[in-house]
Amino acid sequence: METLVEARGLVKNFKRKDGTEVQAVKGVNLDIQKGEIFSLLGPNGAGKTTTISMISGLLTPTSGDARIGGFSITKQPMEAKRLMGVVPQEIALYPTLSARQNLNFFGRMYGMGGAELNKRIDEVLDLIDLKDRQKDKVDTFSGGMKRRVNIGVGLLHRPQLIYMDEPTVGIDPQNRRRILDTVLRLRDEYKMTVLYTTHLMEESQELSDRVGIIDHGEIIAMGTVGELIQQVGEEDQLVLKIGEQTIDTSLIERIPKEIQGVTRAAFEPPGETGDQTSGEVIVYAKRGRKALPHLIQIANEAALEIMSVEVREPDLEAVFLHMTGRALRD
Amino acid sequence: MIKLLSIAINDLRVMFADRGIWVQIVAIPVAIAFFIGLANGGFGAGDPVPLLIDIFDNDSGELAAQFLTDLRATDSNLVLCPADADLCRLDGSELTEEQAQTRLTDGITSAIIEIPAGFSTQALAGDSTAIIYRSEEGLGQTSAVLSAVQAVVQRVSGAVVAANVGVNVFENSGPDFRFADDADQAAFEKAIYDRATVIWTALPPAVQYSESARQQTSGFSQSIPGIATMYVMANVLVGAIILITERKQWTLQRLIMMPVSRGQVIGGKMLARFVTGMIQYAVLFAFGFMLGVRYGDSPLAILLVMVVFTLCATAMSLLLATIVTTDQQAGAILNLVILTLAPLGGAWWPLEIMPQWMQVVGHISPIAWAMEGFQTVIFHGGGVQDVIPPMLVLLAITAVCFIIAVRRFKYE
Repeated sequence: METLVEARGLVKNFKRKDGTEVQAVKGVNLDIQKGEIFSLLGPNGAGKTTTISMISGLLTPTSGDARIGGFSITKQPMEAKRLMGVVPQEIALYPTLSARQNLNFFGRMYGMGGAELNKRIDEVLDLIDLKDRQKDKVDTFSGGMKRRVNIGVGLLHRPQLIYMDEPTVGIDPQNRRRILDTVLRLRDEYKMTVLYTTHLMEESQELSDRVGIIDHGEIIAMGTVGELIQQVGEEDQLVLKIGEQTIDTSLIERIPKEIQGVTRAAFEPPGETGDQTSGEVIVYAKRGRKALPHLIQIANEAALEIMSVEVREPDLEAVFLHMTGRALRD
Repeated sequence: MIKLLSIAINDLRVMFADRGIWVQIVAIPVAIAFFIGLANGGFGAGDPVPLLIDIFDNDSGELAAQFLTDLRATDSNLVLCPADADLCRLDGSELTEEQAQTRLTDGITSAIIEIPAGFSTQALAGDSTAIIYRSEEGLGQTSAVLSAVQAVVQRVSGAVVAANVGVNVFENSGPDFRFADDADQAAFEKAIYDRATVIWTALPPAVQYSESARQQTSGFSQSIPGIATMYVMANVLVGAIILITERKQWTLQRLIMMPVSRGQVIGGKMLARFVTGMIQYAVLFAFGFMLGVRYGDSPLAILLVMVVFTLCATAMSLLLATIVTTDQQAGAILNLVILTLAPLGGAWWPLEIMPQWMQVVGHISPIAWAMEGFQTVIFHGGGVQDVIPPMLVLLAITAVCFIIAVRRFKYE
């Protein structure tokens, strides 16, 4: 596949008010292939927006460079920017202008005009499903509608690459679903390449051909969702919450021996699991759901009162937890 | 260039999408200019700017006294120092030549007139003599004084010549025409001189030019350019708040991520502010015109002052946007700047009525330089050349603000 975005050694230092420097991005390398949805997944403050701001030419990298379609964003910014559409996390629109006036103005910034621009505006309004509200001022729109116009601006000039920085932040599930469907359409129908940043594991897992996990300004893992999950193994976790009861170590040792598919088991007393009020029995199994009945049976035999049971299947959240020791939402 | 214009047009569209803007640039400024104009004299002739002249009368003769009396009579606004003590701003001190020169250089006086010793005797005897006139060249204000001086000199010397000619003709008219004695000749000479003076006075003298220029002034002649300049500054400096808002709502960053250069983005934004400033001037000057205010003889000079001041305010607006980080901060500084620089710079009342030290301090305000330009054209009939000195000062302020602002400006 052809590489559309190639970032090498991107570093961004910011100066604090006290004069000291903080490194927000620490040497990010990225390759995004033409026609794929690549998501940059990480918690808030991980460096996603800073990375995307450097690739899109808003911030000048302290060191390193990014090439878009072969054009360096630092040396040939105009050529590189023509290939991309940007959808910032913020609703970057003029609230007192109508949807159509906003699209018209930003279209001109891409060098479009006249009949061609009008045609593209109509097409985009169709795509974001706002044709009937095109003459209304943006500040009369709901959050979801504003988000759709925000995306529409990025699509006006049919870019090869579209950056979307957390485009579903702060909107209702219905509009969120609509935006996720639009992202998939951009790849499947319009053959666009999408660079998508999010802190939501579910979105990343649903949309992405490939994922880069970023934390503290560094890419800590990159690959398809399947490849990343494989890195933490394919075991499910069965978590039994048992409150403040004590548990015999022999019982923990029995579990892997007696239940088929269970590789190991552990007991985490209250306070060590993040839950101050309840201890947890954690059982690792290849097919967690299948092992569950037998596990409950053993617990009953040991007169262990189970407060709740949770089956954690391997996902990007588990990958992040595995690699950082923290949950993605922390 | 097209993108720069599109950005400017879009900014104006955003601004005029808010109907409150008409209150901001039309209703309120017009009302304030009207009421301040009324307070300053309204439709009638307002208090004209006094023209101070330092006089050194080394002759103290009859003709010198006549000259000064006639000069004073040409224009009630002429203040002859040190005779008119109360208006001379001498603070009780004796007028020396050195002091007079400093006063002239500082613009306190319009001219120095020196009447040499023996002036009266020599002039009456028909001998050549001269009144020494010194001024800072190039100012329309000085030209008005010069016109007055020339008119009076012409009148006095004309009367002297008439008297001399009269005596001469009488003596050469035949043996029967002889004066009884010297007193008889002097009385005859004086009668012709007085009669000639009366006739000259009745004629429209050259000084009429400066009179007519001043007759056009009214309270609105001060309030229209003053309040317009203040509101131009206010409405252009608001550009700082707009830039901060755009940075906050990320439209500025979005523009930077598009194939548009940073120069085009800032250029477009600044052009919109510049146009806003010029609209503000147009609105108030048109209103002034309807009230009967006339803006001198050089529309080009007026336009030059408007353009240069608006440019200066635009650069200040960009600089302000680099100093403050929130629109609340910008609003507070904007109020402080306007409410300080406007009165200090003579937007509310003429700077000339302020004490000398306040006039000096007032010139830290760019408004003072703009007002100097407007007054030179409106009150003193100046042209483009006459407004160039204050405009150079404004352009220097513009350059300094712009250079600092461009270096400090942050897009993200």
